[in-house]
Amino acid sequence: MFWQILIDGFAISSLYALGATGFALIFGVSGVLNLSHGALMVAAVVAAWAAGNDLHAGPYAGAVLGVGIGLAASLLTYFLIVRPLQQSRKIREEEKEIFILTATLLWGIMIQQLIAYLYTDNAKTVAPIVGGVISIAGVRTPANEIFTAIVCWLVIALLWLLVNRTRAGKAVLAASMNPLGVTLLGIELSQIYIAVWAIYGLLVGIAGVLLGMFLGVSSYSVGPLTASAFSIVVLGGLGSVSGALIAAYVVGYLETITAYLISPAYRTIPALLLLVAVMYVRPRGLLGRR
Amino acid sequence: MANAAHLEVSGLTKRFGGLVAVKDMALNVEAGKILGLIGPNGSGKSTVMKLIMGIERPDSGSVRINGVDVAGWPSHKIARMGAGIVFQHSRPLHRQTVLENIKLALLPDKLTRLFADPQTDERARAIAARVGLSGVLDRRPATLPFADLRKIEIAKAIARNPQVLLIDEPFAGLTSTETAAFSDLICELRDDGRAVLLVDHNVKSVARLVDRVLAMYVGERIAEGTADEVMRNETVRRVYLGGSIETAARPESSFRDRATPFLEVNDVSVQYGKAQALQNVSIHVHAGEFVSVVGLNGAGKTTLFNAISGILPYSGDIRRGGVSLRGNTAATIARNGIVQCAEGRNLFTDMTVRENLDLGGQHLTAADSADQIGWLFDLFPILRERQKQAAGTLSGGEQQMLTIARALMMKPKLLILDEPTLGLAPVILEQISKALERLRQSTSITVLLGEQNVTFALPHADRVYVLEHARVVWEGEPAKFAAGAGAGYL
Amino acid sequence: MRSFSTTRVLLVALGAVVVASFLPLWVTGYILGLLTMAYYSGVFAMAWDLLFGFAGEVNFGPTFLIGTGAYTAGILDNLYQPPIWLCVAAGTLAAVAGGVVLALPALRVRGPYFGLTTLVAVLILQNFIVVDAHLTGGENGLTVPDVISISDATNYEIALWFMAVSGAILFSLARSPVGLILQASGQDAVQAGALGFNVTKHKLMAFVISAFFSGLAGALLVFYVGSASASSLVDITVGVQIIIAAVLGGRRTILGGALGAIFLVAMSEALRPIGDLSNFVVFAMALVVVLLFPSGFFGLLIRTREDG
Repeated sequence: MFWQILIDGFAISSLYALGATGFALIFGVSGVLNLSHGALMVAAVVAAWAAGNDLHAGPYAGAVLGVGIGLAASLLTYFLIVRPLQQSRKIREEEKEIFILTATLLWGIMIQQLIAYLYTDNAKTVAPIVGGVISIAGVRTPANEIFTAIVCWLVIALLWLLVNRTRAGKAVLAASMNPLGVTLLGIELSQIYIAVWAIYGLLVGIAGVLLGMFLGVSSYSVGPLTASAFSIVVLGGLGSVSGALIAAYVVGYLETITAYLISPAYRTIPALLLLVAVMYVRPRGLLGRR
Repeated sequence: MANAAHLEVSGLTKRFGGLVAVKDMALNVEAGKILGLIGPNGSGKSTVMKLIMGIERPDSGSVRINGVDVAGWPSHKIARMGAGIVFQHSRPLHRQTVLENIKLALLPDKLTRLFADPQTDERARAIAARVGLSGVLDRRPATLPFADLRKIEIAKAIARNPQVLLIDEPFAGLTSTETAAFSDLICELRDDGRAVLLVDHNVKSVARLVDRVLAMYVGERIAEGTADEVMRNETVRRVYLGGSIETAARPESSFRDRATPFLEVNDVSVQYGKAQALQNVSIHVHAGEFVSVVGLNGAGKTTLFNAISGILPYSGDIRRGGVSLRGNTAATIARNGIVQCAEGRNLFTDMTVRENLDLGGQHLTAADSADQIGWLFDLFPILRERQKQAAGTLSGGEQQMLTIARALMMKPKLLILDEPTLGLAPVILEQISKALERLRQSTSITVLLGEQNVTFALPHADRVYVLEHARVVWEGEPAKFAAGAGAGYL
Repeated sequence: MRSFSTTRVLLVALGAVVVASFLPLWVTGYILGLLTMAYYSGVFAMAWDLLFGFAGEVNFGPTFLIGTGAYTAGILDNLYQPPIWLCVAAGTLAAVAGGVVLALPALRVRGPYFGLTTLVAVLILQNFIVVDAHLTGGENGLTVPDVISISDATNYEIALWFMAVSGAILFSLARSPVGLILQASGQDAVQAGALGFNVTKHKLMAFVISAFFSGLAGALLVFYVGSASASSLVDITVGVQIIIAAVLGGRRTILGGALGAIFLVAMSEALRPIGDLSNFVVFAMALVVVLLFPSGFFGLLIRTREDG
């Protein structure tokens, strides 16, 4: 039982970590709390599923399509919703944040409704790329689960390398600290924003497709997915990606332990209670700065 | 006034992270007196006001209003104790009319006021008449001129009827007629028996109004006395105006681009909300020239620089080498050689010194970038020592040096420096001054320097412009400025 | 709106309500039913606008308050069958208590954190409903043995006059001196503090009032419909619809919320032929409004010069 919890928890947490990292990235650089996060993920999964179901494509092709849709949806969100609001002259500066929150929430619900309409609200799983079962410490685990965890960490590591070791990545990091500073150094902020939303789209697409292969989703998953992403980011502290990573594991394990030891129906509750406690006691989050 | 109004502050200290904004501040204002709190930008005077009013909490010290220590209280309690503040920047409620804004200030802090009191209406109208707002009572702030917005602020203060009144830079952006009217109002308020604390950055502008002056610098008090005494005080003069000024100007004729100066600013105006931040300003800078733009807070230096850098919209014409800059993004202007070290420094605080510099050298090849960094470490040796430290942990002076070095990484043709000496101790100023001198001697860089510290600016200037209230009021050689115009500066 | 006195506006509104009260003579029970729902939604939207438009706090989870009121009333009725008015009173009280509990952490944080706190509250309520299914009926929902009336006309009139009275109270409050203080607290808390107003106290009051009306309307709704479920009362999509109604009608107008709610119901009806896509279209329209017409209906109708 212990090993099962450890392994399952690790896989789920890694998936949460990937999604939360994307969410934190967008907030850190673009200043946007994207409440359509879950919708983008589900869109990616459904695309991958539809590829398998309607187009009879193999799991690899389906995965690629899913990630592609995630990328497209993310960029669409930026150009259609976020950027027009950020540049709008009809809204006062102080109110823009709230308008963007509301608009992304609406946008997410729209996507959710559209998916439910086109593909019904039944749960869908995507054929996994890696099949079979592996035995770890005497526990029979689907190889897919291990694959999920490995891919998540690979992507997170790549992202870390990108941001901390490449010139372009450092420009992005700098933009999250001081956008004006970046402009004064001759770097176009608009290009950085597009790059960030593109990276976000890839992260969301990959996380979505992996989730689809691991547990499956339905249009009902949109809300809980967004909720878990921002819970994790708030717990870890808005503005701290490392905080989000740690919080992802805290939440992931809390859920897994609850599901195994108490009941799957109660799995989201301890994390929510923890969030409430944190908001009462330390609204900055574990490692937050703002 | 029932009880004698009295404001007494002692030992007041406030830290923001590692920065000590106010250190051991003490002042005393009695009923029927005005104390002027003077200091340049970054001296901590606005912070002192906020601490007294409860908008910021002091780390230590006491603030006594009519004998009661209110330090650390929330601002609404301090307000109800008899303190009132007129903010530097007008902050009316935008969705309410002028009359409603004034009425608000007359309301008690009760949850149960459900019906409008006709008396409140009368009193509000009377106050509006006193400050000269009767004609615009039903208008909204967005439709009003700048001076009227300031009148609303004073009206709110009168409505609150405070015994201790704090006024932050009352005359910024006003014409001389408007300033005179405001001065009279403030005197009236003082004559009612209130204790008034007036904050400004320039002794001259408030000398006629105040009874005593207290001068601040980098968070501490450096002198106190009558306006004359403070203006003549050695420390104050050294710190605000500096000692004797040496100039080493190169004549304008010595610069080769006579016909088409490298930078031309023609008839540029900028509107900032309601205020005219820049009005028909024209300056020019030749390639290789060092030009100083001298002016106090709010004169318009930053606005001018931001317009040149493409950060602010403007009307008029700005040309680089004869070609208009209009339509270029700010980043493009920077890449093409006009680089600004803005007032806020804009360092990437969580990145190391080295990483900040590397980002400045984004557009260079790796080899070029390394060379440039080497040269800059030579110019600012302390940066080499600290290269692995996070920028946010450096001292103020080191941060300023890093800001300049990072800008120089871009190999700019024109370097714009906005108040580099802000809040820095004299020792650091020396180092930066030396670096600027080296730049002037050994490179062909063009520099546009905006400063209120005339002692720092003049030795590095080939020509001087003086900006006052959004206009250029003087242009000429630094030696002339030092001799004549400078005297009236303090 | 600003240039018209409070009494004049209320009189005009009263006139409209009186006309509306004669509708049962001319329209079908089906339409009366739709309007009844719309009127209750109108109260939700108006209560939300008090909090947002005036206190400046965006509540993403108005359904937390509504659901608390509705479920408390419903559960009480199921367990002990007390008189309806007692259940409604209990529901309202529970909603107010919930509002206070929500306000305490929410008011200590700024900006996006506040909105997130309200969202979290909704999630917690949803979880509670699912987990305590023996009390709440879980995902299937709750049915109550009593209803206020089986007559469409009676229910309609109750909803109409309830909305009228609530609207009058909320609107008058918004226009009163207290409302002015509330607006100051929302627009510029630092200035409000410097003028001597306890901002936290006033915002808390706004919360309590918003919770009161939300909970009351929610409880009444349970005894109109005869049931309550998470998907109809608590889900985030329901909350968003309330926000849309208020924004469409015009933020900071209070009465606009009622109009917005009626409009949304009419829209959904008109789009019924396209089936499940109707929801999508409504949300898409709302998004367009948010993007292009942030001031809503009233903002378009009465061009207030406030933005210069």
